Amino acid sequence: MANYLIAMAVSAGIYALMALGLNVIWGMAGQVNLGLVGFFAVGAYASALLTLKLGVPIAVGVLAGALTAAAVGAVMSLVTARLRGDYLAIVTLGFAEAIRIVASNEIWLTNGTDGLSGIPGPWRADLSPEAFNLYYLCLIAALVIVVFALIDRLGHSPFGRVLRAIRDDEQAASVAGKPTLAFKVKAFAFGSAVLGLAGALYGHYTSYIAPDLFLPLLTLYITLALLVGGVGNNRGAVLGGVVVVTFLESTRFLVPLVPGLTHVQGAALRELMISAALIVVLRLRPQGLLPEARMHPVLAKEQITVRT
Amino acid sequence: MLTEFLQLLLNGAMAGTILAVPAIGLTTIFAVLRFPNFAVASHATIGAFAGYVANVSFGLPVLPAIIVAFAVAGLVGLATDELILKPFRATGFITTAIGSIALTLALENVVRFIFGNELRGYDLPLRRDWRFEGLRVGPQQVENLAIALAVTAAIFAFLAFTRAGKAMRAVADNPTLAGIKGINGETIARTVSFVGMGLAGLGGMLLGLDTTIDPLTGFRAILSIFAAAVVGGLGSVPGAVVGALVVGIGEEMSLIVLSPNYRSAVGFLAILLVLTIRPRGILGQRAY
Amino acid sequence: MGFLNVTGVTAGYTAADEILKGLDFTLEPGEIACVIGPNGAGKSTLLKAIAGLLTPSRGAITFKDRSLVGLPAREITRLGVAYVPQEHNVFPSMSVAENLEIGGYVAPAHMHARVEAVLARFPVLGRKRRHAARTLSGGERQILAMAMALMVEPELMLLDEPSAGLAPAAAERLFEEVRAVNRDKVAIVLVEQNASEALAVADRAYILVDGRTSRTGEARALAADPDIRRIFLGG
Repeated sequence: MANYLIAMAVSAGIYALMALGLNVIWGMAGQVNLGLVGFFAVGAYASALLTLKLGVPIAVGVLAGALTAAAVGAVMSLVTARLRGDYLAIVTLGFAEAIRIVASNEIWLTNGTDGLSGIPGPWRADLSPEAFNLYYLCLIAALVIVVFALIDRLGHSPFGRVLRAIRDDEQAASVAGKPTLAFKVKAFAFGSAVLGLAGALYGHYTSYIAPDLFLPLLTLYITLALLVGGVGNNRGAVLGGVVVVTFLESTRFLVPLVPGLTHVQGAALRELMISAALIVVLRLRPQGLLPEARMHPVLAKEQITVRT
Repeated sequence: MLTEFLQLLLNGAMAGTILAVPAIGLTTIFAVLRFPNFAVASHATIGAFAGYVANVSFGLPVLPAIIVAFAVAGLVGLATDELILKPFRATGFITTAIGSIALTLALENVVRFIFGNELRGYDLPLRRDWRFEGLRVGPQQVENLAIALAVTAAIFAFLAFTRAGKAMRAVADNPTLAGIKGINGETIARTVSFVGMGLAGLGGMLLGLDTTIDPLTGFRAILSIFAAAVVGGLGSVPGAVVGALVVGIGEEMSLIVLSPNYRSAVGFLAILLVLTIRPRGILGQRAY
Repeated sequence: MGFLNVTGVTAGYTAADEILKGLDFTLEPGEIACVIGPNGAGKSTLLKAIAGLLTPSRGAITFKDRSLVGLPAREITRLGVAYVPQEHNVFPSMSVAENLEIGGYVAPAHMHARVEAVLARFPVLGRKRRHAARTLSGGERQILAMAMALMVEPELMLLDEPSAGLAPAAAERLFEEVRAVNRDKVAIVLVEQNASEALAVADRAYILVDGRTSRTGEARALAADPDIRRIFLGG
């Protein structure tokens, strides 16, 4: 039981890291990112491949994973710099899918849908499974604290302030002379680095990664985590990660309570519950995810538009 | 060599014409309701399965089954928009877009819950492929093409000649003014949800008629559908048709150099290229 | 019976904001009243309040003894009040003829005949009936916007700065059309920055300052008034 809880806590930690990364991109810089699972995958594969195929030390692999994801994030940000939010949503979603397709098909590199197994974990061979879990939990907890502190510092720094100004009104910030593109790219890269870090850590923990693990569903989970905790709020991101994992695991227990379900139906029910939870949480936060400038003209509530 | 090329071109043109149907659905919803509705994926699946039930369980031939696909998907689209997505629209389009992702996953799992994950095929008469000049075409493909063309023509006629269609274009063009001039935005929103998602469902069935269907049918097509709409210009109905042809032919042509599994990646590349170089697409107007 | 009566109206764009601060305004049938004043005085806000795009927090607006407050804009259009906004007052991607059809949306009977009649009345539009509205020049667009309003055969037209951004020649033509519309017994509330033209075309004038009616009277009299001339007409 204790082992199960520890494993859950490790998951929560990885989710918390991802939520923190998303918070930098989305909460602080206001860049919609529906493709975060893609950066997660990039980090996971980069680190796994380096450590598995080239025998690189794990710490180096993890760092490389974060940096690769950062590079990809920077490129993505540059390319999509001028896009409106909804176009950005489409592109980032497509990006994550494209990553998954590449991972599924470039068998020479990623082993395709069979995935990569036997990814080394730090001292996995020397420790018992329980001890390894505990050790990893401490590692993750430490990293969450470090990343949290970094992001918090960032948030309170001049960089963070400019970022928020860009998020709230990019035109105004640009008119005020701030190089908005550079800021956005840096923020995107930093957030992607954290996502890639989480991905690398995931791979070394579970020792197996495959393309089908990197589904848009994961993006939903992390979005849910950020929403629950409060977008733009770092403590909330960590809290959200814990809440979401708890919810996910609890559905695992609830579903068998429903009699007569096949395995497929059980899985479908779980995913249904999670999607429904996201919709509920979205509804409960009427102020939405970001300070969104545009109100829908046809059905807005009051103000200077037509009441139909 | 030339024959191979022409075969790909032909396949691509036919695939593109069929892709135009759900692409028009997506683009009209975007034009009027101003957000990318990712739930088009699950409604394509719902339409495909509704048509399947009509065809296999009730023995209806293809044409009536297609109508069932359209109607069921349209009604589900209307209901889910009214109950789930509409409250988000007052908040903003990003919230609505995310809501639509959650919605599409939820609906996909409802389908999976009912039907399971197995591949299913429609009950179609077995017919031999037609061959001419070394090119090959299946009768079902031609039928699908004819249906797609008829539906596209009907939509164009609706938008160009009917009072409701013009009202819809007015709301897409200038929603505030449309309201002032007496058009009921809520009614238009409901109409577009029904028709747009109905088209998605119809498209889903057309896509599945030639192969098989499963709960992921819509999800697999979503990148291509979005690519078609974006390439042509999000919000432009003629654009969706042009974009669908470009994407359809592009995906077939990519088979010359890429493995078939990369087809959707072509869609993504198309989206990225268009949004970087000419964000408003081929025929679109607003981009920023 | 009162025609258009605005009494003690307080209104703004948000709850905290009050642009109109207790405004009074009346109009007789078939009359042209112009509303002039400095920027931010509330001229456009007054029209939006009458048209139903804003709800006043206090005060009354009645048209032919019927209260307009709280009615949706399309209802007010149906009652015979046509509002022509200053900007975004046409459907850019639709043709001139289609714009007119939408203009007359609330009264779909004999649409085709009515569109033809309006196109005949405004030859500049008739020549471009199939052109997309976005291809029209500024002046042509304003004419189209007014023609759209005429499609519902209104008794009252609200014009929000129709000559804004137009070259003098186009503005001249526009005010000619305004006079012509009024000759067809349509009452007009004309909000304008171009005070001299507005006073020349109107029967009565209201000077709005800081959300209230500062002065009112016959347009000709106010145009000759030395204070008005100094402030609004450049001495």
